[in-house]
Amino acid sequence: MKFQIEDVTVYFPYDNIYPEQYSYMVELKRALDAKGHALLEMPTGTGKTIALLSLITSYALSKPSNPIKLLYCTRTVHEMEKTLAELRLLHQYQLRHLGPAARILALGLSSRKNLCINPAVVSAENRDSVDAGCRKLTASWVRALAVENPNIPTCQFFENYEKAASEAVLPPGVYTLQDLRAFGRDKGWCPYFLARHMVQFANVVVYSYQYLLDPKVAGIISKEMQRESVVVFDEAHNIDNVCIEALSVSVRRQTLEGATRNLSKMAQEINRFKATDAGRLRAEYNRLVEGLAQRGNLPISDTWLANPALPDDILKEAVPGNIRRAEHFLSVLRRLVQYLHGRLETENVEKEGPVAFVASINSQAGIDQKMLKFCYDRLHSLMLTLEITDTDEFLHIQTICDFATLVGTYTRGFSIIIEPFDERMPHIPDPVLQLSCHDASLAIKPVFERFQSVVITSGTLSPIDLYPRLLNFNPVVSRSFTMSLTRNCICPMVLTRGSDQLPVSTKFDMRSDPGVVRNYGRLLLEMVSVVPDGIVCFFVSYSYMDGIVNTWNESGILKEIMQHKLVFIETQDVVETTLALDNYRRACDCGRGAVFFSVARGKVAEGIDFDRHYGRLVIMFGVPFQYTLSRILLARLEYLRETFQIKEGDFLTFDALRQAAQCVGRVIRSKADYGMMIFADKRYSRHDKRSKLPGWILSHLRDAHLNLSTDMALHIAREFLRKMAQPYDKAGVSGRKTLLSEEDLEKMGDGTTNEMLF
Amino acid sequence: MNDMEHRKTNDGEGRRLDGEEEEEEEDEDEGNGRGLDAWERAYADERSWESLQEDESGLLRPIDNKTIYHAQYRRRIRSLYSSTTTARIQKGLIRYLYIVVDLSRAASEMDFKPSRMAVVAKHIEAFIREFFDQNPLSQIGLVTIKDGLAQCLTDLGGSPDSHVKALMGKLECSGDSSLQNALDLVHGYLNQIPSYGHREVLILYSALSTCDPGDIMETIQECKKSKIRCSVIGLSAEIFICRHLCQETGGSYSVALDESHFKELLLEHAPPPPAIAEFAIANLIKMGFPQRAAEGVISICSCHKEAKVGGGYTCPRCKARVCELPTECRICGLTLVSSPHLARSYHHLFPIPPFDEVSLSLLNNPHQRSSRACFGCQESLLIPGNKPTLCVACPKCKQHFCLDCDIYIHESLHNCPGCESFRHSKIVSVTEE
Repeated sequence: MKFQIEDVTVYFPYDNIYPEQYSYMVELKRALDAKGHALLEMPTGTGKTIALLSLITSYALSKPSNPIKLLYCTRTVHEMEKTLAELRLLHQYQLRHLGPAARILALGLSSRKNLCINPAVVSAENRDSVDAGCRKLTASWVRALAVENPNIPTCQFFENYEKAASEAVLPPGVYTLQDLRAFGRDKGWCPYFLARHMVQFANVVVYSYQYLLDPKVAGIISKEMQRESVVVFDEAHNIDNVCIEALSVSVRRQTLEGATRNLSKMAQEINRFKATDAGRLRAEYNRLVEGLAQRGNLPISDTWLANPALPDDILKEAVPGNIRRAEHFLSVLRRLVQYLHGRLETENVEKEGPVAFVASINSQAGIDQKMLKFCYDRLHSLMLTLEITDTDEFLHIQTICDFATLVGTYTRGFSIIIEPFDERMPHIPDPVLQLSCHDASLAIKPVFERFQSVVITSGTLSPIDLYPRLLNFNPVVSRSFTMSLTRNCICPMVLTRGSDQLPVSTKFDMRSDPGVVRNYGRLLLEMVSVVPDGIVCFFVSYSYMDGIVNTWNESGILKEIMQHKLVFIETQDVVETTLALDNYRRACDCGRGAVFFSVARGKVAEGIDFDRHYGRLVIMFGVPFQYTLSRILLARLEYLRETFQIKEGDFLTFDALRQAAQCVGRVIRSKADYGMMIFADKRYSRHDKRSKLPGWILSHLRDAHLNLSTDMALHIAREFLRKMAQPYDKAGVSGRKTLLSEEDLEKMGDGTTNEMLF
Repeated sequence: MNDMEHRKTNDGEGRRLDGEEEEEEEDEDEGNGRGLDAWERAYADERSWESLQEDESGLLRPIDNKTIYHAQYRRRIRSLYSSTTTARIQKGLIRYLYIVVDLSRAASEMDFKPSRMAVVAKHIEAFIREFFDQNPLSQIGLVTIKDGLAQCLTDLGGSPDSHVKALMGKLECSGDSSLQNALDLVHGYLNQIPSYGHREVLILYSALSTCDPGDIMETIQECKKSKIRCSVIGLSAEIFICRHLCQETGGSYSVALDESHFKELLLEHAPPPPAIAEFAIANLIKMGFPQRAAEGVISICSCHKEAKVGGGYTCPRCKARVCELPTECRICGLTLVSSPHLARSYHHLFPIPPFDEVSLSLLNNPHQRSSRACFGCQESLLIPGNKPTLCVACPKCKQHFCLDCDIYIHESLHNCPGCESFRHSKIVSVTEE
């Protein structure tokens, strides 16, 4: 369908549109007009992605003189492919209506691991070894050698790509990763480098968060992007954590040992070069004297991860004199590693700010701040000079230099925490030194500054006013949309008491109470006997889950549950969990029924959907607060309070509730679906907790469902499931219009209609 | 919040802070200005008292839900009709139906009063009688699921009483339920049915899971291959595997809300379903129309193997005596029916089109004074107070009917009195000329 939003003609590939999609587009349009940032919350299953894509591409089409580029960030490769598939559908529709004028180039970009088509390289098991494998075949010096000596292997695809030179372009169209690989195979060109090259010219680029947020990656991939771009972060409820992780480094004993090995290997190499090709080292030295940390324009295959610090903070200066010579630099690194070794030996937990840390390095190892700051670039340069291709071997020393550069660059928003053992296992020494970033706004700041509009969107962004404070930006639009439903297909409940009327909670003083454990067990047992197919349970932590499942096993509750449904448990092992999930799905398919025990903040809670019969009920046992004695969290809380005036309690509750909402949101993935959600903790009935749930859950949380005991919940569940099993009319009955056709939209005409919809 | 609590415990997890103060137990209910309990508010929101009405003398009038009921009924008729008349649909008149009753542990649940099992049994009895009334040429068999096993209670047969008796004797439940075992068993029986018969299974499923010995998907494919139409009525909630089964085999899946809804759903299975084109090949069946034997004649009954006096029917081919119709002759295997049986099955093929609702203004038109009364029962279509009620008209003969007659004509009579008399008067007028 085709309709008008103010001055933009929107092309939408379906015949009908949900009212909330329409108002989402209206808000988005306003943000684009204002060239500002937006924060939009809309529940999953309402077609957020297509609304976004449809509006932004139509917006670009309506302004052909100054086309905007769309950078769409997803969390996983799977989501990337899904987004591109929807975009293709939309693109075909636009082509039908507008003809060749609507042509765009859209492509996904991922790591070599996902794009490489050279069988010898892509067979390696992890990302780093694929990268290294690629470098071994494509580095400029390797190729130069191969010209003289045909026995040295090179990558056929890359050679072809280089030969094609400027002719190597992608014709307009929408390319998923799979299409890129197929295209590469077809032409004999390397899809990875082709995609990297085409990103600059594409109208739409879909890639992962890291390509914009992690300065190491963003520095080489997203450097060239124009200012007139719209950046979309989809499923962005954890964006602050991604930002923080991008700037945090942790160093363990293994890292230091590895780094020592790397250093001696490099020393050998230097000696070899001195004997054979002393000129190279001298040339590097001269270059550094001239003040160039980088060698100018490197061939695309040699590019390295860029500097871990943010672009604005990198000094454009000459490398300090005392690390210009390779041997000197190595000895500086050796001293640094030695120093870190010493710090790891500590018996107590230590917490320091970067300034104090740098001062102590200076006094004990004689390395000043400026040297630290240049470590990463200097290492990069050295490795290029030494022509090292197996970069996966040198990850350890990279980590150290990464750490050094960050410590040398930043004085605020970071702290260094040394823990001699894991808090939960105090008898096993496992020292770790962490440089942790507390300020999510640091990593995302360049993104906000560089691009004209940044859209942050997800199904759970409540409370919506906290994100601008955490990320330190001013959205021009921030809104939360509810779902228009033809029937009340979600049924959230707050369960506060067991069947014996005693309160249940995972509050610290109550959680090991046998009464609470028994009540939780009885709750699950009753529920498995009335809910068909799949049930998902979320616990607050692995250790709590282990404990409670153990107790249930001893008291025989688990056995009774097994009479109704099979039980599967998430573990920290990815392979095991995948297998469990697979079997869980099979048990749901064949009618046996199954329960999946999972952990909030775990892998399952974030990425796996339990739609349709795979999840008819989700029970959230307790409030998933973070492990609040973790030093890093405490340091972050302190920083938040001092810098952004966000109270500890507020942040913790916000964080716990967004996790809980994320968990229970797993069951609803479309409007035709239905599911129940039980929040089993007395604390959820408190207003300060409950009000932080997203609006689309709150609007279905009826007063009568706020303070339930097990038997009342059971009764509600029975009624709800019966009601939902009845056939229903998808278009909605007269009073509640949930699908708008083209005529409806025309009738609504101008902007006065938004109010009518809600 | 600076009064976070750090509590020490000894289970190795260390201390934890929950970011909240020691809370009071009764601190919710801030939006509760009306002073009602949560459950009371739920009722207050519905405001059921507002639908009460008073009549002229100030007495409470019983809430009139007749029109609502009728609207629902008309919707059903319309959907039925649209599904049957779009193309000339074949209907299976000779049906072989197995009713599978789930008597697993879940059947003892008390959410239906007195228990699911008792409610199911009660309505099956009504259903069996209704079924034979509408499909006199068809046969039913009963299968139960108990302890994970499927057991055949009665073989296919045409006598309602024997089925009902067999079921009532076996009403106890235990163990798990297995859909696959039941389907396998029924599949084995129905496979032997001649090709003109329509194979159907109706499963009344209480349990929420099925505990199977093998891959149920294969069994479902088997059933699909053998053209067995499987329908399920669930008693508690929607189960994926049942939905899948019904979708694959072309049956219907429904879940009962309560007892009356269950009865309704069950009775929907009484009229024959439209036959799927490739399933049913039209072919001729040999049938016998036995004569009723004279009263007082003593003969040996072929079904009970004993001498009986009077009654009974005689097979036209082998002259054996059978007690009731319809049946298959025990001696020569001929299908024995009576002509009313055939006639009663016939109306399913030519349903009466749904009547149109008539607007009130048309009724007030003085030229149509004659149609102020229902053509069926001759009652006035005006309720006291001279206000017109809703009424309907046959699209062919344009006669008006009241709502009660509408239902009667479609459900029981299967003839439109208007059309019938119209045709008759025409013939008369022709002869007069």
